[in-house]
Amino acid sequence: MPTTVTMPRLSDTMEAGTVIKWHVKEGDTVATGDVLADVETDKATMEMQTYDDGVVAKLLIGAGDRVAIGTPIAVIAVDGEDASSAGAAKSAAAAPTTAAAAVATNDEAPVVVTGTVVMPSVHADNGARARISPVARRMAEELGVDINSLRGTGPGGRVIKRDIEAAATRKGSGAVAAPASIMPVVAAPAPAAAASMPVVAGPGSREVAVSGMRQTIARRLVESKSTIPHYQVSMRFNMDPLLELRKMLNAQLEPQGVKLSVNDFIVRACALAMAQHPYFNASWAGDRIIIHGEVNVGVAVSLPAERGGGLVVAVIRNADQKGLRQISLDTRALAEKARTRGLGPEDMMGATFTISNLGMYGVDNFTAIINPPNSAILACGAAVERPVVRNSQLCVGTELDATLSLDHRVIDGAMAAEYLTTVRHNLENPATLLV
Amino acid sequence: MSTVTVIDPTMTATREIEFRDALREAMSQEMRRDPRVFLLGEEVAQYNGAYKVSKGMLEEFGPRRIIDTPISESGFAGMAIGAAMMGLRPIVEFMSWSFSLVAADPILNNAPKMLYMSGGQFGCPIVFRGNDGAGGQLGSTHSWCVEGLYSNVPGLKMAIPSCPEDAKGLMTTAIRDDDPVFFLESERMLGMKGHVPEGDYLIPFGQAKVRREGTDCTLVSFGRPVNFCLDAAAELAKEGISCEVLDMRTIRPLDIDSIVRSVRKTNYCVVVDQSWSFGSPGSEVASQVHQHCFDDLDNFVHRVHSADVPTPYAFNLEQEYLPNARRICEAVRSCLYRA
Repeated sequence: MPTTVTMPRLSDTMEAGTVIKWHVKEGDTVATGDVLADVETDKATMEMQTYDDGVVAKLLIGAGDRVAIGTPIAVIAVDGEDASSAGAAKSAAAAPTTAAAAVATNDEAPVVVTGTVVMPSVHADNGARARISPVARRMAEELGVDINSLRGTGPGGRVIKRDIEAAATRKGSGAVAAPASIMPVVAAPAPAAAASMPVVAGPGSREVAVSGMRQTIARRLVESKSTIPHYQVSMRFNMDPLLELRKMLNAQLEPQGVKLSVNDFIVRACALAMAQHPYFNASWAGDRIIIHGEVNVGVAVSLPAERGGGLVVAVIRNADQKGLRQISLDTRALAEKARTRGLGPEDMMGATFTISNLGMYGVDNFTAIINPPNSAILACGAAVERPVVRNSQLCVGTELDATLSLDHRVIDGAMAAEYLTTVRHNLENPATLLV
Repeated sequence: MSTVTVIDPTMTATREIEFRDALREAMSQEMRRDPRVFLLGEEVAQYNGAYKVSKGMLEEFGPRRIIDTPISESGFAGMAIGAAMMGLRPIVEFMSWSFSLVAADPILNNAPKMLYMSGGQFGCPIVFRGNDGAGGQLGSTHSWCVEGLYSNVPGLKMAIPSCPEDAKGLMTTAIRDDDPVFFLESERMLGMKGHVPEGDYLIPFGQAKVRREGTDCTLVSFGRPVNFCLDAAAELAKEGISCEVLDMRTIRPLDIDSIVRSVRKTNYCVVVDQSWSFGSPGSEVASQVHQHCFDDLDNFVHRVHSADVPTPYAFNLEQEYLPNARRICEAVRSCLYRA
């Protein structure tokens, strides 16, 4: 039997992928581990390897083509098979046999526009009964996933646990936050990339192709801003004690190559505050709130122009259990990786709260859009010297403005004020962050 | 085979001894404690036991309590059952459980039913013990796994240890139990070494032990194949599959609660049982898991058994016939949809 290579799922939120470049051509001999193609996902461009030894019998899509995950994209004839007949047989069969292929062929253009793929229904085949494992059915109910929107990856198309988990994660990146009536699970064309008003390119204008990452940013943030009832609460922190402590620690830690940033303190202060304020580490799930067991703090990292620009969220896992030194090391390693090699899906998954810091650019204050399925994001400005009144005396102090954006379905204003008060206490009494 | 060393910090003292020493220690300690306990079987006395399990016991306890019997399982098993009914607490050694088949009437038709049939007048506090399963090229008739056949009978208890510590703890409990206990050992494990507590040591029946914690798949086993499961779990860990290995220790009573707890966590269950698959402890476990965990399963319970053929004599065929680590790995991957 020749092996059909399908578009793999290379990230949790990936729905379709583009073959940027084929590294093999028909007739090439390949061995397990050889790179077949560069595939662009919604997040990054990644190498796709073969898991079979054999001869490339057929490439089913061209470079630049974008297809849904699961769509056959190449056929590999394994030892002893006639490569040409294997390729012919398979390419003839590929389109009509699998619904996924049909979607890919029909929807090639729409897929590009919407960035979403409508999966064929599990009920689709002759009205046959849905095949789904018991735990998958139960999880779908609990997580509010519509099983009719899924294509199962188990035998005979059975929907299994991992399919529900993947759907919930996809959904979590936007729709988990909303009741089904507002945000149907079958990914309706999100208004993301499609401009709401016709845009005419006037004289002197130029067009820039949009990367997968830019499309993801567009889609997810439109979903976030249009479905989550955002509001903001700000607070100003006295940073003098923290800066003094930081200066002392960095002087002492310099021989060990440790340099703590103000942001490292903020990550720890926010993470520690979750113990008293669990709703800031939670997600709206349609009919209930899920309070997460781990505190994973996402840190927004901007990418340099030579890497295509844009922004990713690197995740510091279990940040409430890590000391400043570890938070600093983790953050620096992730930022470095993001700016050089690019982050892998595992580096970006599972944030439960996000911090965006534009302090290093001299920004006084700003507001951020919630990173779904989080319920809150903290936007930090720079620590700046200002005239301040302390003990009824006018003097010079260093202050930092921070603004929380909140999901009102989960967090009310007074809760936000209490959370910020705890964060302020942590930052203004920074010795508490050391233990 | 991996050596299982389980050290319980609450134990006062342990030392490494062989599986056979652990069995002997349990029997000897109970014989010192209770004059009603005695051992009988083929070659248990003068020859020190065909597998040296009863080595030295004749010297200590004398011929009235360590009794060599004729080669007549039906006769000496029946005699022992009579002694148990009259208040003694016999331990019957079958050189191999394969040889117990000729004693099926007394051990299956009398011992487990006596309490019921006598309206509670006569119990049958007896331990039947011996080697079970493939001993290594012993051929079809001498390689019986009797757990499938015998565990079918109500009224008996069945303990199947997988390591020296459990051999002692379960044997002590078996001797003190008031019901007939079928105690299944393995010739392949008698030389296995492990830490075993000194002094009185009892493991309650019906309490499974987690031999290895894991999150992705529950492996349920008992007796020798537990060790195959641990080998498989180590191999699967390299592939990022985290297996939880449950050692049932007794299959009657069966600690279904521990299995359910684990399967609710992992959503996958593979049962490894060296008896044949049809009407086996493995099929019973699978059935109960399907009953109790229906909404927790992502796939049907997979089972790894000895192949459905008479045990082959050839070494390579016998290895392949058994539920070995490779076959367990394949079942786990298949169950997790990773085949």
